[in-house]
Amino acid sequence: MRTFSIFKQTFRLPIVLWQSLFFIGPLCFTVAMSFFIVRNYRMQEDFVMKNWAKMLGRDYFWDSYFLTWGLAGIGTIVTMTVAFPAAYTLAFKVSETVRRWAIFMLIIPFFTSYLVRIFSWYVILAESGVINAGLSYLGLGPFVMLNTKFGTVVGYMTLTLPLVIILQTFALSNVDRSLVEAAFNLGCRPFRTIYRVILPMARTGLIIAAVFCFILSFGDFVSPYYLGGSKPPTLPILIVDTVKSGQQWPRAAVVAVVMMVTLFVVAFAGIMAAYRRRVG
Amino acid sequence: MVAPLVEFRSVVKRFDDFVAVEDVNFTIDAGEFVAIMGPSGCGKTTTLRMLAGLEAPSEGNILMDGRVMNDVPAHERDTPLVWQSLALFPFLTARENVEFGLQMRGVGAAECRRRALEWLDRMEISEFAERDIASLSGGQKQRVALARSLVIEPRILLLDEPLSALDANLVIRMQSVLTRLQRELGITFVYVTHSQSEAFAMADRVVIMSRGHISQIGSPKDIYRAPANRFVAEFVGRNNIIAGAVTKTAAKTVTIEGSLGSFTVQTGQHDAPRKGDVARFVVAADLAQISVKKPKSANVIPCSLISEEFIGSIVTLFLEAEDGSELKVQLQERELSKVDLKSATTTYLSWADEHGHYIGVD
Ligand SMILES: Nc1ncnc2c1ncn2[C@@H]1O[C@H](COP(=O)(O)OP(=O)(O)OP(=O)(O)O)[C@@H](O)[C@H]1O
Ligand SMILES: [Mg+2]
Repeated sequence: MRTFSIFKQTFRLPIVLWQSLFFIGPLCFTVAMSFFIVRNYRMQEDFVMKNWAKMLGRDYFWDSYFLTWGLAGIGTIVTMTVAFPAAYTLAFKVSETVRRWAIFMLIIPFFTSYLVRIFSWYVILAESGVINAGLSYLGLGPFVMLNTKFGTVVGYMTLTLPLVIILQTFALSNVDRSLVEAAFNLGCRPFRTIYRVILPMARTGLIIAAVFCFILSFGDFVSPYYLGGSKPPTLPILIVDTVKSGQQWPRAAVVAVVMMVTLFVVAFAGIMAAYRRRVG
Repeated sequence: MVAPLVEFRSVVKRFDDFVAVEDVNFTIDAGEFVAIMGPSGCGKTTTLRMLAGLEAPSEGNILMDGRVMNDVPAHERDTPLVWQSLALFPFLTARENVEFGLQMRGVGAAECRRRALEWLDRMEISEFAERDIASLSGGQKQRVALARSLVIEPRILLLDEPLSALDANLVIRMQSVLTRLQRELGITFVYVTHSQSEAFAMADRVVIMSRGHISQIGSPKDIYRAPANRFVAEFVGRNNIIAGAVTKTAAKTVTIEGSLGSFTVQTGQHDAPRKGDVARFVVAADLAQISVKKPKSANVIPCSLISEEFIGSIVTLFLEAEDGSELKVQLQERELSKVDLKSATTTYLSWADEHGHYIGVD
């Protein structure tokens, strides 16, 4: 037994190392930094509550916090909703070969830089862009889509949609077909099986997909900055702004820690919900 | 004339090029207990799934009450299926599983609950009503699955090897539960099984399938005493199958000569074979006789005793004929003591003329 446990430990060790090197280390440093002070544009080690009081006492911080929540939340709801029919089709309606190719295609976007993909939206969303050109034929528009919350959500979806479709497809593929057929057999209409059988069965995977989607959106800088116009700022933009205006690294660290705590709570709640044995 | 409850008319089911069910015709009357039996992969499940509307026939029609059902989707049919895998919903409790079908029929919450609990009680598992499916034993799950199908009070219940996952004791108990239910409720049962003892013990009629065809339909006794062809005779087992070339044909009889000798049997409903055809007949093991003195009968095969097998009070003797083929005789243990087999070097297997059952050429 003893050799076996040593054997297990050697496999665990790299994970522990990896986590401490790339996650726990920087996290501790960020937390510590949020108590430092800045004098003459230079950061000094210290332990003061000033940064926390300054940031958490400001309305603009809380405005930014709830804006980020709202945008990431709406982004997650929209992405999960848009992805579902696609994932449903891939999981239930197409052949194994088609599914494999589709998943491969969904991975391709990750080969290209996210920033490049965001800039391609300029061409599409701009006032003289593709969509408005199309709408003008119908006598509509032009609509302002760049530098709006709409733009931000479109940007978030650029980042998250392919991943969410892939995760949802896996979640749905694992649903036992015979349970769906059993529901038909007991008189359940095909559409109704989605929420009576498929959603409960795929719950774990779907919640994980939503958590991923929320985390990626919540922490994203590029979309709210380039497509959302950066004003009012989301938390990641606030971090950059705070650093730029007078080297306020400690205050930026406060924002970062708040973000991390938020995401930690969301992820934890999500995982708890995902693995809870039964829906109440 | 009243239309049968279910009718299969020249039903064919193909998966791509593979023919899973080929030209199947049969009817089921209301209140019947029909067992479908056959080796693995012969199309039993496919037949049942077509009846439930989970698979569409490639050709032919399936009728219920004289109405063609081909275009009626599964959820509009009243044909609950008890799945081999049970297919209970793991995210619901036992009671909620049973309520599912009622909810789909728009029954109110209180009524759903009452009827679900009533059925769980009937299945003697009401104490587990609020339990998760995962925490139930195999037999308890089986009962939940039955309750879930029966609670909607269907006219027909489809069962796909419902007892195959249970241990032998439980199988016997569940068999009596099922037969009792079927009698009490008057529901038509279509019961797919691998097990002969199950089919013969419970069914009014047995359908024997082989490679997508129906080989024979009949009462358990018909199947056992009068197998229609070689496949059924072999499938049922407990038969001595004797083959040979046809040497003489007469009105209703045929003489078959093979390495075991020359025998004359009645052809029954079979077509008369031509001279020279290879034909077969069977002698059921429990209708064959054994003796140490050569009997007077024309149907005698000399052989030697290889081994004996006791199951309860029934003895099966395994014999070897001169040409090396194996033959079986089944008799009561007390009959065996009358035959002094130990001292004899040669024994004689024989049968009365009427017990030679012709099964045709193939
Ligand atoms: N969806 C399908 N696609 C392709 N072939 C299928 C499909 N379903 C069944 N088959 C084939 O049809 C044949 C009959 O299958 P079926 O499930 O009806 O057999 P069965 O008699 O129920 O066998 P078992 O006793 O093993 O359950 C098998 O050869 C099987 O491989
Ligand atoms: Mg089967």
